[in-house]
Amino acid sequence: MNRPMELDIWGGDWGLPSIDLHCLEVMAYAKFSAVPLQTHVTNNPFCTPNGSLPVFKHGKKKINGFSEIAAYLREKNFSADFGLTPKQCAESVAFSHLLSERLHPALQYVWWVDRKNYLELSRPWYAKSLPFPYNYYYPGRYERDAKKIMETLYEVCWDDPVVETGVHAEAEKCLTALSIRLGEEEFFFGSHPSTLDATVYAYLAPLLKAPFLNAALQNHLKACSNLVRFVVRISQRYFASTLQEYEAHKTSQQKPKEDSENYFPNKRRNQFLAALVATVAMTGYAFSTGLIEVSSKEEVKMEDELDEQIDESVFDHSSNEGE
Amino acid sequence: MPSVLLTESISVELGSREPWPGDVKFFQPYLMEQILLPDNANCLAVQAFLKMCELHFTIENRWNAEYMSPSGRVPFIKCGDFLVAELDSIVAFVGAKGISLTAELTGTQKAEMRAFISLINCVLGNAEIYVTWKDDTVFNEVTKPRYGSVFPFPLNRILCWQKQKKNLKRLSMLGWGGKSLEEVYNDIESCCSALSERLGRSLFFFGEHPTELDALIFGHIFTIFTTPLPNTVFARIVRKYSNLIELCKAIERMYFERREPELVP
Repeated sequence: MNRPMELDIWGGDWGLPSIDLHCLEVMAYAKFSAVPLQTHVTNNPFCTPNGSLPVFKHGKKKINGFSEIAAYLREKNFSADFGLTPKQCAESVAFSHLLSERLHPALQYVWWVDRKNYLELSRPWYAKSLPFPYNYYYPGRYERDAKKIMETLYEVCWDDPVVETGVHAEAEKCLTALSIRLGEEEFFFGSHPSTLDATVYAYLAPLLKAPFLNAALQNHLKACSNLVRFVVRISQRYFASTLQEYEAHKTSQQKPKEDSENYFPNKRRNQFLAALVATVAMTGYAFSTGLIEVSSKEEVKMEDELDEQIDESVFDHSSNEGE
Repeated sequence: MPSVLLTESISVELGSREPWPGDVKFFQPYLMEQILLPDNANCLAVQAFLKMCELHFTIENRWNAEYMSPSGRVPFIKCGDFLVAELDSIVAFVGAKGISLTAELTGTQKAEMRAFISLINCVLGNAEIYVTWKDDTVFNEVTKPRYGSVFPFPLNRILCWQKQKKNLKRLSMLGWGGKSLEEVYNDIESCCSALSERLGRSLFFFGEHPTELDALIFGHIFTIFTTPLPNTVFARIVRKYSNLIELCKAIERMYFERREPELVP
């Protein structure tokens, strides 16, 4: 009986099937190797073997970690590196270590240590996605872990400017090296994607697409136009449905704004009628309770004659008393 | 936006205005009694690089070299008024003076070289720290006596414990804390296999002349197969790759006329 291969992942956003680089790495590798993988967005790393996502399940087997998952898939004859020479495989291993040594600390910094990005992007996104009560624990834990990594690598406090400068400088050198290596090719080793392409895509796609407030590193990546084209190419070819759903969702969110402008004439008319009814009602109430009184011309004349008579009688009375 | 105040860039910037002085000093811990596997590998790598660039320097052994170093790690060089530590910074500093081993490499080759340097730092570098500080046998029989040999009691115990804690934390942060010794050996095997595959039958990695990548490989591989440890698996794995051993022997012949005596625990 064929048991399905499943992957529990973090959810996606901004046109990506997952915002987490480790999940994206496995998903891209599965696409390139034509693995029939079913993905489930769990957004919960709690009940996992290593306490992190993604978790690969096949029957009773549960595996964490990209290299272990890739090794298991290779045992089952799914590989993205069939066409590579041993030298190219060696180069692929070397470049993936370049990414983990130079770019990974910068991504940790940009997502979790940079204050603006943490408060406006990372923490709200994860807090919204995680179920209760994990949304109160995991964002803070990821922030603390990232700060510890900075302190371990640079041996100064995480908020020292040396950390930010060092981390960005290393990452920019790494991105430049990747851009030079890729050149004008479609993928790193010819016209078919390999494991290295999956790894590079996983590192670059969230960095490119997420709406960072402090976007220095993102801007450097955008300046490497061949890397941007690389990410877009893989998204369009292998994750087309996710991209299309995101585009459709974006368009449908813009439509209600346009429709509200089309209601313009009716809206004004309704506002005018409502104001008129309110004014008439209040005026009628004011008249009925006697707040406002309106007198006619005859009434005014009669009142004037009455006033004159009262004045005359008062004058006569006072002149009689005077005599 | 990140500020531009990087210590490395300042020293590179200012250092580039002066030629290489004749009185450059190279600081490292004592070889016979004190130095440990990871530090010895880094020291040898920098020495090989400087010799490849034909830059003159004198070696100064100091028990407190680690504390004198601006980055807290050995080796470091004193070049005029500047102290520059570790291979990457020294390569940049020397490069700013117009001296480079990679001037004839293409952009793609330089990117590839960067990648292999990262591979060695990530795998061999961390494996050496693991074997030195996390493996109980090696730690008790080699590391503790050697590291503490230059300090009086009880400082030798306290400082050694502090350094072990720091290194274990570093390994944990880099994802090596949960690995078993078997997994570490597998990682070393795959790293050496990748390096050997890339080197093939050539003498050096890029063309007829060595680069800083060759210097780094020399530093690590030579140290591993010449350092006697209680656990010999590490050395046996490395010895299997004959082309890497040939590379080390060639660099030793060409640049180290008379080698310092081997480490004796």
